[in-house]
This record gives sequence, structure tokens and C-alpha cells, in this order.
Amino acid sequence: MILFENVSKTYKGNIPALRDASFEIDKGEFVFLVGPSGSGKTTLIRLLLREELPDSGRIWVAGKDIIRLGHWKVPYLRRNLGCVFQDFRLLPSKTVAENVAFALEVIGRPAHVIRLQVPQVLDLVGLGAKASAYPHELSGGEQQRVAVARAFVNRPLILLADEPTGNLDPKTSLGIMRLLDRINRTGTTVVIATHDSGIVDRMRRRVIELRDGEVIRDQERGVYGYGT
Amino acid sequence: MALSTRYVSKETLASLRRNRLMTVAAILTVAVSLSLVGVALLLQQGVSNATVRWSNGVNVAVFLQASATPAETLAAHQQLMSMPEVKRCYYMDKKESYQQMRQLYANQPDVYQSVTINEVPPAYRCVLTNANDAVMVGQALQGEPGVRNVVYPGQEITTMRKVSFVVQVIFMSLAAVLFLSALVLVANTIRLAIFARRREVAVMKLVGATNWFIRVPFMMEGLVQGLAGGLVALGAIVLLHWGFESTIGHAGAQNIFQALVIPTSSTILIGVLVAVIGAVMGALSSLLAIRRFLAV
Repeated sequence: MILFENVSKTYKGNIPALRDASFEIDKGEFVFLVGPSGSGKTTLIRLLLREELPDSGRIWVAGKDIIRLGHWKVPYLRRNLGCVFQDFRLLPSKTVAENVAFALEVIGRPAHVIRLQVPQVLDLVGLGAKASAYPHELSGGEQQRVAVARAFVNRPLILLADEPTGNLDPKTSLGIMRLLDRINRTGTTVVIATHDSGIVDRMRRRVIELRDGEVIRDQERGVYGYGT
Repeated sequence: MALSTRYVSKETLASLRRNRLMTVAAILTVAVSLSLVGVALLLQQGVSNATVRWSNGVNVAVFLQASATPAETLAAHQQLMSMPEVKRCYYMDKKESYQQMRQLYANQPDVYQSVTINEVPPAYRCVLTNANDAVMVGQALQGEPGVRNVVYPGQEITTMRKVSFVVQVIFMSLAAVLFLSALVLVANTIRLAIFARRREVAVMKLVGATNWFIRVPFMMEGLVQGLAGGLVALGAIVLLHWGFESTIGHAGAQNIFQALVIPTSSTILIGVLVAVIGAVMGALSSLLAIRRFLAV
């Protein structure tokens, strides 16, 4: 599903963000990307979304070489990748349902599909009752659930999450992780970049650890780290 | 890709409403600039109209003596035809000249009643290749045997042309400056609109909206602004036409300005042209803004 082959990326004038990173993630896997800030986790996600291009190496997503992907095809790549961020990125002027519907509207889904899909996905994330609330009326955990709903409503092949629990307390974080786990069980590949060691240790899933842009560990059923 | 009209119109209208003040400023600037273009075009049309209208493009009238002999008439004709500046001439005999006189002075019967047909001079009316040669041709014929006088009302027309040329240059330069500022204003309005919607745009990119899907509402916004300005200019041009027509249009055939009134259909055509220029310009400047401020 995701294949990195010797990927390197250096931002202008800085130390390398990724150095010769190689790994493979299969369909339906649940993977934690761990490592301290600046270890290259966010760069990796930006590369997957093709917000950046690597300096060298190749990246395959869903059987496609996304580096050679034409500029105009990038939107179609992103339709296969749902994405959740630490800061939620909800639209404050839209209700919960409108925020989720927006993701379908702008990729040209017809209204009857939207009417059907939005309540379904809101029920999945446990916010069926708050469809007409505005983001500022929700707690952080609820806002992140909306963001997950928006990322998942189009049934992407892969769900990416960049520090999804960074702004949340441990209990709420666990709730979000359970939700992502539930989504993973529908067959969606889930990749979570995090430095929340408590969560990683508790979930016991595959862990890819990055340090200074290098993959230093790739472990099935791993924990956050030895002594970090 | 499904880019529904409903979505685009909804987004465009919402955005226009959000930036009301800037939108109005942009539309007015477009309108003033295009009105100037329109007036310059009207004037150009009017002047060329006036030139043509003077007796079907006749530039020079050579009046012969009422007593001119056939030989003298023929000599005058030959001299005219030998000049390369002269395109064609036609001879108006006494009877025809008298008829025209009756027409021209229809309101003053005493003028033509005081003369008999025999006293009316026959004339050669000549069309020149270039109207500016009228003076030269006239001077060549002046004083020839049998020639009474040469009239080249080109004089007024030449003056009118010169004046209108200067006016057109002034209007067009003003229009060009205003056009540029209109372009910048529209682009700036679009830039503000993009800024106001940067969160939406970020989400749209994230969930895989195509570039055109993101761009089209902004382009439409610019197009609407340009078109609105163009339509205001169209209105101004039509109003000007009506005003001109109602004040000068009935001043009588002798008034040279009367010839400046161009047909309503031409006015409408100029108006439509101006509106189309507005729409194209609006779309172009929003494209400019999108290229610079919307990294998609």
C-alpha cells in the first residue's frame, strides 16, 4: 500500500529531514511513526500527500509512483488519503455536518450521496447528535472526531494522522485511538505519527521509529522506545 | 469532473458579498475605464460617419459658371480625371443642382425662388482617394476657365478630425491608465477573497479537490466584476447616445455635428464590445491573482 525506497529530503540549508528512509506498509496495517520532534515524521506525511517532493528515492502509494505523478493527478491521489492533524483544521463557520459534507462537495460528490454518507460517518465517530453544532461548541476530543469523520467520509484507502492527540488529554486521546482502530478494522490502512508514548505502548501495534530522519527501528507489536 | 453551477454561483455570490466595498470599487473603476473606451469608439465612429455623410463621400465640389461652354466643362472634367488623387467624379447638371438646392433650403423657399434653373451653376462632385487632398485638388481647379468656385467642406471635417483625434488619444490614454488600475483592483479583490477563504482552500486541497474546482469560483468572481463594470459602461454609452441624439440629432442637416450621431445599432454594438472586454479583463485579472496567490 505504501512503499518508501531510499527516500531522502533536505529542506534548504538545514540538516536532512529524511535520510535514506525505506519501509513498506501493507494494506490494512495499523502503524505508528514515532520519534522526537524534528525526526522527520511530519516530512514523511507531507511526502505521502505530495505536498513535498523528495530529493531522491521513490515513494509508491496504492501501486502508483507518486513522484512521477502528473501535477493534475495529485488531487486524485489525495482522495485516497484521509488526513487528520493535531490542530483539527475544521472550518469555524460551518457546522459539524457541513464540515464533513464539505469534503465530499469539493470532490464533486452528488447531493444525495452526501446526504447519505454524512450521518453515517458521524454515527461512526459518535457525534450523530452533534451534527448541527459548530466546532467552537465542541470539546477538543469531539473536534478531532469531526476531523476524523471528514478524513474518512470518502472511504480513503489510507488514513494518515499527524499527532492526532497532540492537543488532547490522555483519556480523550485513547478515545481517538480507539476510533482510529475501529476505522482500521474496516480494512483501511492507518498511519499515525505521534510522540505519545503512553498510547503507543498501550496499543501494541507496529512501530516505525525515526531519529534525525533515519528509520532506526521497525517492529511488529512494538512499544514507543527503549528508554526514551 | 462535476463542477456544479449551483456550487460555483453560491460561492461566487458569497464571496462578492463578503468583499462588498472592494467589489464596488473594482466595478466602478472598470466601468469608468470602459466608458472612456466606449466614448472614444463612439467618437471615432461618429467622425468617420460625418466624413462619409457629406454628400456620399464627396470631398470636393467644383461649381462651373452657369454660362460655361461645353468645351470648358469638358476641360474641367479632363483636368479632374487626370489627377491621381481624384477617385471619381460625377456631373450634376443645372436641373439636378436646382433640385438639390431646393432640398437643402427647404425651410427657406425665398432662397431658391429667387433664382431660375438657368442661373444655377452645374457642378462636378468628386470623391477623393484621400480626403486630406481636398485643398490641393480645389486649388488646382480654382481660376480655370469656366470654373466659378471650388468648395471643399473638408475644412470643417479636417478640423473635426483633428479635434476628435486629440480627444480620442486623451480618452484612450486615460482609459489605459484606468484599465490598468482596474486590473490591479480586481486582482486585489480576488486576492482578498482567496485570503478570506484560505482555510477552505487548505481543506479543499487536502481532501483532493481539483485545481479547477478551487480556482473557478475565484475566476467567476473576477469575471462578474469585470462584466458588471462593462455593463455599467454599456449603460453610460447608451445614455450618452440618447442624450446626444435628442439634443443635436434634430438640429438640422446643415449642422455638421448632426452627422456625428451614429445609428443606435452601432452604439449598442460598441456597448456590447465594451461589456465583453470587461468580462474578459475581469477573468484575466483574477487568473493573475490566482496564479500569484493560490498555490495549487
